[in-house]
Amino acid sequence: MSATPVPAAPSPDTSTSISQDAQPIVDAVDRLVLEYLRNRGYKLPEQGVPNAVDEASPSDKGKAPETAPSQTITSEELIKRLAVFSQRPANPNENAYNNASSVVQDVGGAGTSLNIQNLIANLGSIGAEEILSLDPTDKNEGFRELQAWVDGSLDMYRPEFRPMLFPVFVHFYLDLIQSGFKEAAVKFFSEFSPSLAPAHNNILHHLSTLLLPAHIQNDDMAQRFQNEKYTVRMSRSGFDLLVGWLTEGIGGESMGAGEGFAGEKGKRGRSAVMRVVNNHLKFDVTASNTTSVPPTAWEENTGLLSSLLARANGAPSTATSAQAFNSTQGELKLGPAPVTEEMRAEIERELRQRAVMDGDPNGAQYDIHYLRSQQIPGVMAPSDLDLPPHPPTFKTADVLREAEKIRDWRKKIRLDAAALKELDENSPQLSATRARALPSICCYTIHDVPEGVPCCTFSQDLSLMAAGFAESYIRLWSLTDEGLNGMRSDFQLNKIRDNSSLERVKETGGPRTRKLIGHSGPVYSLSFDPLSGSTSRPRHLLSSSADATVRLWSLDTMTNLVAYRGHQNPVWDVQWSPMGIYFATGSRDRTARLWSTDRANALRIYAGHLSDVDAVRFHPNSLYLATASSDWTVRLWDVQRGNTVRVFIGHQGIVSTLSFSPDGRYLASAGEDHAISLWDLGSGRRIKKMTGHTASIYSLAWSAESSMLVSGGADWTVRCWDVKSAGGLPTKNGMANGTGALKSREEESIETTDLVGTFPTKRTPITNVQFTPRNLCVVAGPYLSPEQR
Amino acid sequence: MSKPKARAPSTQITGVYKADSIRDVAESLGITNVPESVASALASDVEYRIHQVVEEASRFMRHARRTTMTTSDIDQAMRVLNIEPLYGHSSYNPPTFRRAPPLPQLPQGGTVYFVEDEEIDFERVIREEKLTLPKPVNWHAHWLAVEGVQPRIPENPPAIPKETDADATVKLENGVISTLLPLTPSSPGRPAAARKPQQQLVKQVLSRELQLYYARLTNSLIPSKPEDFDREKKTAALATLRHDAGLQPLLPYLVQWVGEGVVGALKEGATREEDGRVLEVLLDVTAALLDNQSMLVEPYLHQILPPILSMLLNSTLPPSHAAHLRTSASQILSRILTAHSTTYPSLSPRIMKALLLALISPGKSKGAREGAVRGMTAIGKEAVRKGLVEGGGARIVGSEYGGDERSEPVIAVMDAFRTLQEPSIDPVPFTDSEVLSQLREVLGDFFAFRLQGDAAWARGVLGIPASGQ
Repeated sequence: MSATPVPAAPSPDTSTSISQDAQPIVDAVDRLVLEYLRNRGYKLPEQGVPNAVDEASPSDKGKAPETAPSQTITSEELIKRLAVFSQRPANPNENAYNNASSVVQDVGGAGTSLNIQNLIANLGSIGAEEILSLDPTDKNEGFRELQAWVDGSLDMYRPEFRPMLFPVFVHFYLDLIQSGFKEAAVKFFSEFSPSLAPAHNNILHHLSTLLLPAHIQNDDMAQRFQNEKYTVRMSRSGFDLLVGWLTEGIGGESMGAGEGFAGEKGKRGRSAVMRVVNNHLKFDVTASNTTSVPPTAWEENTGLLSSLLARANGAPSTATSAQAFNSTQGELKLGPAPVTEEMRAEIERELRQRAVMDGDPNGAQYDIHYLRSQQIPGVMAPSDLDLPPHPPTFKTADVLREAEKIRDWRKKIRLDAAALKELDENSPQLSATRARALPSICCYTIHDVPEGVPCCTFSQDLSLMAAGFAESYIRLWSLTDEGLNGMRSDFQLNKIRDNSSLERVKETGGPRTRKLIGHSGPVYSLSFDPLSGSTSRPRHLLSSSADATVRLWSLDTMTNLVAYRGHQNPVWDVQWSPMGIYFATGSRDRTARLWSTDRANALRIYAGHLSDVDAVRFHPNSLYLATASSDWTVRLWDVQRGNTVRVFIGHQGIVSTLSFSPDGRYLASAGEDHAISLWDLGSGRRIKKMTGHTASIYSLAWSAESSMLVSGGADWTVRCWDVKSAGGLPTKNGMANGTGALKSREEESIETTDLVGTFPTKRTPITNVQFTPRNLCVVAGPYLSPEQR
Repeated sequence: MSKPKARAPSTQITGVYKADSIRDVAESLGITNVPESVASALASDVEYRIHQVVEEASRFMRHARRTTMTTSDIDQAMRVLNIEPLYGHSSYNPPTFRRAPPLPQLPQGGTVYFVEDEEIDFERVIREEKLTLPKPVNWHAHWLAVEGVQPRIPENPPAIPKETDADATVKLENGVISTLLPLTPSSPGRPAAARKPQQQLVKQVLSRELQLYYARLTNSLIPSKPEDFDREKKTAALATLRHDAGLQPLLPYLVQWVGEGVVGALKEGATREEDGRVLEVLLDVTAALLDNQSMLVEPYLHQILPPILSMLLNSTLPPSHAAHLRTSASQILSRILTAHSTTYPSLSPRIMKALLLALISPGKSKGAREGAVRGMTAIGKEAVRKGLVEGGGARIVGSEYGGDERSEPVIAVMDAFRTLQEPSIDPVPFTDSEVLSQLREVLGDFFAFRLQGDAAWARGVLGIPASGQ
């Protein structure tokens, strides 16, 4: 449901009618020009030409000092003025310059009589109204009035009006730059940007770098602002107030706004605001009551949504919000992947055998019961046909892995985060409850890497740790006593017949750490293959790098097997599918891709993000792929069909990490906005926003029960979050809006109530957080020695 | 509402790249008189391009999980933007920019930033500098949290996360025990600590055992509540101090403790019985430390001496302990001097000077005079002769306290005379009036009278060979 304010931009109707009444004698050349302009769709100049020729015509209400007709006018100035007209909504995408200059050429070519000179000179004067609206002081005035009106509005409406300020600001700034008023633009920016900085720092900074019209032509973000409509969600009553204010200068309870807008100056400022509102804003008018909406809800429905919601072929989507888009995409199958009957039988047999060995028949009973009842209510489970193709037969390793998974489930440390909720701070049972609720965290600190560690990961069985470095190599550590054995090089291939003869050529007593060399750029992501689960060491490792390749390493031979090429740009992330065979990558080239290990080319390309794909994660049943991007959104793709099934909008910064809950129902994402967003996959809604980190968040991990989330980031802390609690800011400081509050107060208030544990490290940014299948949390990061700074 | 295009001077435009810089570059390329409009437009564009590269580089920085941008990020960014990277700037040696304030005679020049180019002496580098290979990358695991509680181990920051490292290291460098929690200073040599953490700990800070020992020891010597004082405990504590090996790491802390204790006791006037006992214990501790064969006291002499001298020379000491305190202080002084005056030749002259000052300068208290005399006695014959006889100390004491033969300074002086020469068993009075007058002149009437009964002793004190006997 969308609407546009009814009143049109104030047009120079009065002057037009006068000029038309006069109906002057137009000579041949003038008519030619007129004809041309009409063909090109320039209504205003058309009206202007006769007006200009008619010397008697009053010069536009006398409020146009700029109109003093000069005999010599530079073509540059003319272009600038004409550019205004070409921006009319009739054809907003046309390049203003080309048009304008062609007009001048045409006009010039038609013969240079004094008349023409006059005409050209006066062309500008007729657009005086337009020129005046470009006057930078108007924009300043208009924005100040708008800001005053928004701040003066009722508390009830303020949260929904405030998001409107930002697009108006951006368009004013871009218009100023576009029309060449650099100084005015810089002044405008410095005057009004501070009030918007807390929420929009990144874009503001980017804006401030645009200083010439040419930059706007080439800049992606500026183009998006110019060509797309910025969606603002508003309630019906709020929208009516806005319309009333824009047209009459009244409405709303703003004090002082009325008198400012009564004058001529105020009117022009208002019309400048109105122009932006008409041309570049789209109002998503809702019937819902404003008070029932949480304060961060606007994030989900505000912004340049149309391209984010665009269909695959580039056609604009009919959906006006992420919510509407998600609801058109149908239901998702979020249940666990199906297990074939034969495999289940095998697993049961394996579990019984293990139970006999352990002398624990009850455990086996429990395990088998769990295996049979692996269904989550309210979630549709996929059938075998939904899964990406996989080998028809299963291997012993698969059975062992699945059996171990079930045993791990029984033997895991139980984390009961909900227990913390009922407890107050002074309760004597506090420490005991904390112990029940919070995980044990083991921190692996990597030393002597002054340039940091871009990525680091653990194998599921905690036997291996791998870290990728900026110097293009990967280092592998054995965390157990077992060495890292490769193959001997002095063997003859024809002697290798079976497994045992292969074993014989394996090295013995290998080192505990190894370097894997092959990339030619910083290594940004690593992933151990999940096939062996927590039963034994993984056999393969994937790595992605700035050299645009992904490499597959064998941990049997400690060598590189394959380099997957296809991405054009650095590959930021690589991730195995939960069942092996497939893996996904995300790259700076704005695509995510699906690969299978036995093919050198990508199987699927997921295109749709408007900026880098920073992280990719598979859904636990491997039906879906989530991608986090620098365009501030998270998308969920159908792995096989390759289309977007969910768009998650709401982050206020680059999203750099993701994590699916093990039960497959939720997705957590976090990034540069220092906040973790929790999404419900089924409905596509944001459940809550968890804040507390004071720097970028690098990694997220869920506990096995999907009840606790652990995050690590650049602020040298590891934080534990209670997923199930309601969250929200503490009520005491809830009203502090960041304007007058003390700094310390502010810092306190950013921690939402669901933050249940904060564990600082000594100068160690946490690059990786992982849970083992038995709920032990392992984190890793490089130690930054203070001398480095 | 004049022309909004009226160009403001270019300096008003905010930005890192000024039009002036464009003109400078143009001049360096041989293009003079670049128009103002061109320069400012170019400057804007250059600035935009710089930001473009920086924005791209920040992606690389982010994915490298860093918060500081390095030159390699810029290189990577330029690579993906299809610009040839600037070779030769490695991130291992980040350039540090120094700021030069604008010249006073040329304020419009603005602040200049430059890379400091250190001059390297080739000779020296070849001769002296040993290249050390950087340590290989290593890891160290520790518990960040155990069941939701962060254990208090060196790897974890102290409880208040805000001021972590800087404080801890500073405290340790000053050698002050301000917290009894062991804190490893954050050193890049952590991997070494990971393999043999104990060794590292002992070297850097007190081990947990020693800290415990220290706490127990000080508490049993001077309990926080006076009524807890236990003589047996004290004796035992002193005995361990006297004999135990391996207390060397504690020495600086003990010395400091003694010093602070003495200052604390004397500051309050030191008239209470309690203070006297404390001082006594502290003296005993000092004596015990000196006794300990395995202890290397020498580096701490400058810290040990002041408390001893203050006890010796302080005007008021608790009356019940005064004599004992001064005597034992002088004994300790004498022991220190015998042991260390050979290695520190300047030691005894300096002490002598301090004592002499206390002895002869006017207006000193009775206690100070007595202490000074005792101190001199402890230093030796030479000091006594110099101070009492030649320096006129005896004359001053005699004139000040001559009325009371039992007063402490007088007794101390007589003791001192005895160290010069033992009185004769069979005293023979003076016959030589010349020597007698000399005696009067040097020692004053009072002590001359005391000595005139024993001619041999008097001669010995005066240093005149006993002729005619």
